[in-house]
Amino acid sequence: MVRYIGRRVFYMLITLFVIATLSFFLMKMLPGSPLNAEDKLSEEQKAIVLEKYGLNDPVPIQYVKYLGGLVQGDLGISFKFSNYPVTEILLDRMGPSAQLGFQALLVGTILGVLFGLIAAISHNGFLDYTSTIIAVLGTSIPNFVFAALLQIVFAVNLGWFPVALWGEFEHTVLPTIALMIFPMATAARFVRTEMVEVMGSSYITTARAKGISEPAIVFKHGFRNSLIPLITVIGPLAVSMLTGSMVIEQIFAIPGIGEQFVNSVFANDYPTIMGTTLLFAFLFVVIILIIDLLYGLIDPRIRISGGKS
Amino acid sequence: MEMNNKNNIPKELLVPMKQREDTSEEISRPSRTFGQNARRTFFKNKLAVVSLIILVIIILMSAFGPSMNQYGLDDQDLSRAKMPARVPVLENISWLGLDGTLSDNFKGNTVEQATLKGVSRYDNAEEFIDIEVIDEGDGSRNSAEVKATYRIYEAKEMTDQYFWLGTDTLGRDQWTRIWLGTRVSLQIAFYAALISLIIGVAYGGIAGFYGGKVDDVMMRILEVLIGIPNLVIILLMMLVLNPGITSIVIALTITGWTGMARIVRGEVMKQKNQEYVLAARTLGRSNWKIIMKHLLPNISGIIIINTMFTIPDAIFFEAFLSFIGLGITPPEASLGALISTGFKSIMLYPYLLIFPAILISLIMIAFNLIGDGLRDAFDPKMHK
Amino acid sequence: MKLKKLSLLLVFGLMVAVLVACGGSDSGTQGGGTDTESADGEKVLNFINGDAIPSMDPSLATDTYAFQFLGESMEGLYRLDKDANPVEGIAIDHEVSEDALTWTFKLREDAVWSNGDPVTAHDFVYAWQRAVDPATGSEYGPYMMGGVIKNATEVNTGDVPVEELGVTAPDDYTLVVELENPTPYFLSLTTFGTFLPLNQTFVEEQGDSFATSTDTLVFNGPFTLENWKSTSTEWSLVKNEDYWDAETVQLDKVNFTVVKDAQTKVNLYETGKVDRTDLTSDLVDQYASHPDYMIQPETSVFYLKMNQTRNEALANKNIRAAIAKAYNKEAIVNEILNNGSVAANGLVPADFAPMPESGEDFREVSGDLVTYDVEAAKEYWAKGLEELGVDSIELELLGDDSESALTMNEYLANQLSTNLPGLSVTLRNVPFEQRLDADTNMDYDLQVSGWGPDYLDPNTYLNLWVTDGGNNKMGYSNPEFDTLIEEAATTLATDNVARYENFLEAEKILMEDAAIAPIYQRAKAYLVSPKVEGVYYNAFGFDWEFKWASVGSAE
Repeated sequence: MVRYIGRRVFYMLITLFVIATLSFFLMKMLPGSPLNAEDKLSEEQKAIVLEKYGLNDPVPIQYVKYLGGLVQGDLGISFKFSNYPVTEILLDRMGPSAQLGFQALLVGTILGVLFGLIAAISHNGFLDYTSTIIAVLGTSIPNFVFAALLQIVFAVNLGWFPVALWGEFEHTVLPTIALMIFPMATAARFVRTEMVEVMGSSYITTARAKGISEPAIVFKHGFRNSLIPLITVIGPLAVSMLTGSMVIEQIFAIPGIGEQFVNSVFANDYPTIMGTTLLFAFLFVVIILIIDLLYGLIDPRIRISGGKS
Repeated sequence: MEMNNKNNIPKELLVPMKQREDTSEEISRPSRTFGQNARRTFFKNKLAVVSLIILVIIILMSAFGPSMNQYGLDDQDLSRAKMPARVPVLENISWLGLDGTLSDNFKGNTVEQATLKGVSRYDNAEEFIDIEVIDEGDGSRNSAEVKATYRIYEAKEMTDQYFWLGTDTLGRDQWTRIWLGTRVSLQIAFYAALISLIIGVAYGGIAGFYGGKVDDVMMRILEVLIGIPNLVIILLMMLVLNPGITSIVIALTITGWTGMARIVRGEVMKQKNQEYVLAARTLGRSNWKIIMKHLLPNISGIIIINTMFTIPDAIFFEAFLSFIGLGITPPEASLGALISTGFKSIMLYPYLLIFPAILISLIMIAFNLIGDGLRDAFDPKMHK
Repeated sequence: MKLKKLSLLLVFGLMVAVLVACGGSDSGTQGGGTDTESADGEKVLNFINGDAIPSMDPSLATDTYAFQFLGESMEGLYRLDKDANPVEGIAIDHEVSEDALTWTFKLREDAVWSNGDPVTAHDFVYAWQRAVDPATGSEYGPYMMGGVIKNATEVNTGDVPVEELGVTAPDDYTLVVELENPTPYFLSLTTFGTFLPLNQTFVEEQGDSFATSTDTLVFNGPFTLENWKSTSTEWSLVKNEDYWDAETVQLDKVNFTVVKDAQTKVNLYETGKVDRTDLTSDLVDQYASHPDYMIQPETSVFYLKMNQTRNEALANKNIRAAIAKAYNKEAIVNEILNNGSVAANGLVPADFAPMPESGEDFREVSGDLVTYDVEAAKEYWAKGLEELGVDSIELELLGDDSESALTMNEYLANQLSTNLPGLSVTLRNVPFEQRLDADTNMDYDLQVSGWGPDYLDPNTYLNLWVTDGGNNKMGYSNPEFDTLIEEAATTLATDNVARYENFLEAEKILMEDAAIAPIYQRAKAYLVSPKVEGVYYNAFGFDWEFKWASVGSAE
């Protein structure tokens, strides 16, 4: 087990290293520097400013310095926000994104599981079709279209929730709903398929033959066994929250990390772009690792061994 | 005594047993190949079949739709900007919203005030505005409400023209642009899926087939690549490349093939130890023949299914990129770009958003349902 | 049977869950719904800001938001009133020497920093030296002061020490400024953000973290900036009780929130969360009849830059002249921008610079120099093609990727390629910062660009185009033009009438050469709540002045 985790962490670090390298050199290929109006500066000034951002060194040295900084948790200084370290920008912006992502994932998965369950129980019935349609719509309609609809119906026309901005809990409701549609739909489809399969398996027939009550069969045997594989999709879903956050935060004017990322892209703020990229990648690999470990712990058929798979 | 008389059976009851064929092994259903079975299962799935039909129609329309009227992709004319949808015949069915009128509700303290608002909203072209009073109101603030319907085609003296899906802010025919946009979106999706398929199958196939050291190294590389969040890489690539179809395809495929590679590898590993492969090997077939003749047909199902799910993903990513402004270069359009433009006037000219949004949703739904159908079709358990 | 019941139960459970979720948040809405109103008699306004404030360091500031909040939280020598006349700030009076090269400012003695220190002449000396000190890395310092204040350029290139800069403080409340050349518009320059004073002890204490948050700032203006750091998306201006003219300031607080999406902004306005919002073209259609609708003309001018160095076709004057006449400006301002912007047929904007003697508007005197004229454009075009010996030309049009810009760029490209046979235009829409980079590297053929004034004089527009000028960046060079601008800044500097004659002549040459092709002078459409009183727009410098603003009744 320890060896397995160790191996995984090792690959995680390699992945992060590859991403850091890739994003560093991609950014070097782009035009632009902290001096966006270069000709307004004298040669002396340019030299001093470039020195401050460490851009005077040859690229390989910059690269080594950058990696060195990374190890110490230093992501450099933002080009856009004078004298403001990237690490602090990310810390400032983490909160709202994390809250939204967590809420959406939690509520989305729970509702998704319920929908899936209802669909499976009334297999091929009216409720099944309804749930399936909701699920297909949920995975197919782009979330920004959905967010715009929510904003207009619930905030502008009905006035139940604030239109946008960040602060109180009620500000999180609409963006959470917009974000949770995708995990909800995915979870619903997944649970339904699993449930239908499990309910048709021989041990359920055996349980039925033993005269166990139907709810007990559904929940104790069917439901439990179809939930385990669900964990495997939660990882990618958690990551999809990141994608979602970029547009949803823009639409609802939420000061989160996705919004920050898109802004940095448009402001040529390369240190912040790289920092955010690495943060996303880090979250991504950590989530995948945790999910894999959880999966191993929960499913008795899978035992993580130290050796090769 | 009598009890023991077992042998006392009348002779006539004893007839010689006829030799009959053993029916327990008999095939009760007509014999079909796997392919026939798959097809049967697929075509029994109504949702999948309907989706397939819709998709075929959409593809045909994206090919021929733009040439169904006289307008081109970039035929601008500001005098006909923002015209609502108007379709011959259907324009007489008012609830469809295809009658070429703009309408909205206006509130005011009195009916007159509300009417005035409506009239000034619609170019002050009073004679072409129908006012329908919804609420007389009592003189208090915004208590009166009227519905103003603006016959804009008449006002602009264009009653002989029909813009089936309306026009955009530059007066370009939305019908033409939507189908051209669909063409671009589908192209991007197909290319991205195809390239991912080729790279993924080759990579996964090699790793799975050769196994051992080769597999080890290739899987380690893959593990690293899978750890990269694709969205981030797509965004970074879009920054570096010049915007356009090719760039979007490259950005989408750069990490898009990893999922396919992993699945193919797993499947090849499973299949290569099956008896039929062993048999082929024993018979001296070359590796190449084994891969092409035996393995590939057997894993094709899973490849097709996976591709079916890659395409809607690619369409979504393209829309996402266009939405945040990193997509295709105008005047070219894609569904994502059209949605992004329509989104900005969502309250006012909702048809600019609604048609492309419906279309993109239809395409994604169709691909998803066809994918589901194919998965069932290739699953022997579902064959009946 | 049991299954049916079970699924019904689940559906019911689901509904309860949803209802509970809604109910919970409903009560929350009621609790926090009306906190933006002036509940306890405080005078509060709420505004939208287009983006975060990247820096509050007056020497490093380059963008409109930084200058906006510097302008409100700090006070320089002078401040502009609503008719763009400089009025008392920290300076109460000034004298100009005969040769117009030495300006002596008398400062008020009752101005204090928010940390209690008095505001003295030394604060100006320190700030101005800091702005041109190469170690600061300021863009605007050398740009605004170079050629104006004595030795500014030399200090910036490191040739002379910063102490040599032509600004001194003989005593705490006298500031003496020596100029390089007589500069008639110097007074209006002193209202600009780069010329604000700085408290040396405080700045040096904060070091690198100076001006990155409220805690690392010190104020001397009508308001203090509260609850802010670089990445904030919400902050407030709060009345500064220590401000020397605090009794004039009526507002207690102005809240700002960053919102970018146009529809979201309007939705916030409709729900009463903000007191003003700008409107994009489509939204103008919807709100033009709204009682709160308002158009704010501005002094920014937008034009096509034609790079003569990358594509040889653009080095041909006839080709450029054809392009300058080949697009319908009226259609652009009326149909696409739709926000009150007006077509521009020259470079210097209307209602900006009055002629020295007659007081007539510069634009009116100069007249329409380039108009939309397809026939003339086609003639020029044919002539140009003949001279070049080609029958088709491909050009790239570089533009911003903001919403209205996108539509306009598409229209421009279409107009050019439709009206000029053989021309094909490809679009490259990029974010603002990337466009600036492309401009610096002269990596474009045609570029939609704009300019807002830095001071109240036509020179701010015209000196952009001198040979090898820092903002020329399109390879335009005409010695005649250079001489006219040079004269206006040197030999004719004290003769305003002659200067303006030169400017008129220079603008004419610029347009005859078709160096740039003017498109429009910007205006913006807003919804402004009747609550907002006395917030006015500055012709240059920072955008909105709140010092004299107050809160009216809501209806």
